[in-house]
Formats: sequence, structure tokens, C-alpha cells
Amino acid sequence: MSRPTSTWVREAAAVFAKEWRCELRTRYALNTLALFAINTLVVVSFSLGPLGVAPGASSEALPVLLWLILLFAAAAGLPRSFVHEEETQTATALRLAATPSALFCGKVAYALTLLVALEALVAPLFLVVMNLDVARPGLLIATLAAGGFGLAVCSTLVAAIIAQARGKGTLFAVLSFPVLLPLLLLAVELTRGAFAGGTPGVALVQLLLYDGAVTTAGLMLFPVVWNP
Amino acid sequence: MLPALRFAQVRRRFGRLAVLGGVSAAVTAGEVLLVTGRNGSGKSTLLRCLAGLLAPDSGTIEYSEDGSPLDAAGRRRRIGLVAPDLAFYGELTAAENLAFFSRLRGIGRERGDELLRRLELPPDRPAAALSSGMRQRLRWAWALLHRPRLLLLDEPFQNLDAAGVAITRGLLAEHLASSDHGAAPGLAVVANPVPLEIGSVAANLDLGA
Repeated sequence: MSRPTSTWVREAAAVFAKEWRCELRTRYALNTLALFAINTLVVVSFSLGPLGVAPGASSEALPVLLWLILLFAAAAGLPRSFVHEEETQTATALRLAATPSALFCGKVAYALTLLVALEALVAPLFLVVMNLDVARPGLLIATLAAGGFGLAVCSTLVAAIIAQARGKGTLFAVLSFPVLLPLLLLAVELTRGAFAGGTPGVALVQLLLYDGAVTTAGLMLFPVVWNP
Repeated sequence: MLPALRFAQVRRRFGRLAVLGGVSAAVTAGEVLLVTGRNGSGKSTLLRCLAGLLAPDSGTIEYSEDGSPLDAAGRRRRIGLVAPDLAFYGELTAAENLAFFSRLRGIGRERGDELLRRLELPPDRPAAALSSGMRQRLRWAWALLHRPRLLLLDEPFQNLDAAGVAITRGLLAEHLASSDHGAAPGLAVVANPVPLEIGSVAANLDLGA
């Protein structure tokens, strides 16, 4: 059943606002993401630090660590958005009241804002503790934005798939990491370019195309995943 | 044109367990179809199939409003459901829960406020802090929020005190008689382990002892 665009936007905004209202009252995802990110950042900084990596190797190795921190922090906190709906049995009411695509977009917007907050916390700290210079800050911001968007869309879709299954944690890893592999490879390559001052080449375009592809796939697959 | 629900030979299995073995019935506006049967006889499964939450393995479910037939997706958006496994956001108050679902359904907050008053629900209490009877009242408020024509009620008076039963029976009677949702009165399918004394029961579908 098609719905007017204004209604659809209002629905997506309602889901987004509800997610944040619930989150600000429990702080589950915020605490999980922040604690995981800071813990791993501290471990990485103590283990490697500015002196632990050879100056020439730092721009090669450290982007990988940055994206691994973001990936695992996201994996620790983001799947909850749908898993919690199933575990607390609120999913039935949501199935009966929300347009699936609006629900998906509301959840993606929530995951994206969480990831932006995480990136805003982790990326500057990472640069400071690793004593890294960013030759092209604009490229780094674009990479974090595009990479964060892809991560949010994939995490939301996979969370919806695993929410109704048993062994949710394992399934999230099994299903999401193959899908996220292209995103991670492109994001790491672009982050290296941002640190070293290289040109983005086609990698940024590929990352944006990846985002477009996963968003389209998400919008097409979600109604099937969500409803019987 | 009056809304009507008709289903025929609805079957549903969970693995090797046949829960619904081909059930058929029909109900029209202003009437109640009462579904009875022991625990595990498939009453809730039937209501989930009618709501569009569960796809039957075979059989047909036909429901129309204003002469337009609605498929499972259409039924999901239109029906009102009261069921034991229907839960709300424990972090949000009763009023916030209804306001959220009102926004999803594109209706104003006034309807939720009115139902909170009629069901004597404390608007500012978090849903997690509501008693089981109050949660059942909130399910009723949620089900009636968008003025549905078809109500699917699974053990609708569970956990309610005498006052709660009286209020919800009154709401059901209004729904069946009603001009609340336009010209046509509503209809309801009520599932309960034992027969209930409610008005306008068109048929009693017994799923077995």
C-alpha cells in the first residue's frame, strides 16, 4: 500500500525520535559504543603508540586499526536496535503500525547518528594518541561520512535479519562481515590517502556506489525480512 | 459497503506440528466471531494469520473495507489487535507510547489522550512500571487508536479487574455499534479458551478440546 511522502517522512522521523528517546533513557548503545571504542583505543595506543610503529609504516598500518575500532564498536552496539524490538516483543506493534521502508530509514538514521557521534569521538582521539598528521582532512571527513553511512545501512539490515534468529551475535558476524569487507577495504585505502596526502582516485566513487547499492538493497530486502 | 471477513480452509504448521487443520468462518459488520478451544488449539495462530502477521500454509483469508479487498500488508495496517504477546516500549510512558504510534499512523495525539482517559491509564507512568492489568488496558488503547473496523482480540479480558472488564466491554460494544469509524459498524474476532458472554456473537468457532 503506497503512502504519501509526507506521511512516510513523518513515520521515519517518528521512528528516529523514538529510538533516540529510548536510547537517552537507557544509554545502552551509547555506553557500549563509547566504552568499546575507548578501551580498544587505549590498548592500541599503549601497544603501538606514536613510537610503536615505524614512521613510514604508520600511514599504512594505522588506518586499518582505526576502521577495525569503528567496525567492532559498531558491531557491539548497533544490532540492538532490532534485536531489542524482538526480545521485548515490541516488534509486533511496530509491524502492525509502521511502513517497512519508513521504519528501515528511521532505524538507519538512528544508527548513522550514533556512528557519527562515535567517529567524532574516536577519530580525533586516534589522531592525537597516534601522533598522526592528516595531509587531507577533507578526504578523511568524506571517508568517515561515506564509510559510516555504509556501516549504518549494513548493520541495520543485518540486525533486522538476525533479530528473529537464535545465536544473534555469531550470526551478525557471519552475515555482516562479508558484506562489509568491500566497504572496509575502500575506507582503509581512502584513509591511507588522507593521511599520506594521496589522491582518492576511484575509491571514493566506489565507496559512494557501494553506499547506494546497499541502501537500494536494504530498501528492497527489508520488507521481506521484516514481514512474513 | 459493509466490511466483512471471511476465511476458508486455513492451515498452518510449525515444523511437523499441525496447529491449524483447515478452519473456516465468516463475520460481517456489527458481529463478533468467537473462537474458543483449549490452550494450544491454535486460537492465537489463527488471529496472527488474520492480522497478516503470519502467512498460512494454505487457505484463503478475504477481508474488505469500503468494498476494497485488503491483502496481508493492508490488513496489518488496518486491524486493531489485542494479544498477550503485544508489548510496548518500557522506557516510554503510556502517553508517549500512544503518541509514537499515533505519529506512525498519522493521527493526532488527542485520540491517544482520550483513550488513556477512558481506560483510566496513568499517562506519565513508564510502560515497564505498569501492572499486568494496566498493560492490558494499554493494549486496548493501542488497538483502538486508529479506529480500526476489524478488531482481533486474543484473550481480551486477561488480567483485567472488574472495572477494566466493564470499560473494555463498553468499548467493544461501541465498536460494534459504532459510527465512530464512519458509516459502517465494526466487527471483531475474539479468541478465548472458554466461551464469553459478549453481545452480537454471530458464530462460535470451536478449535477443539
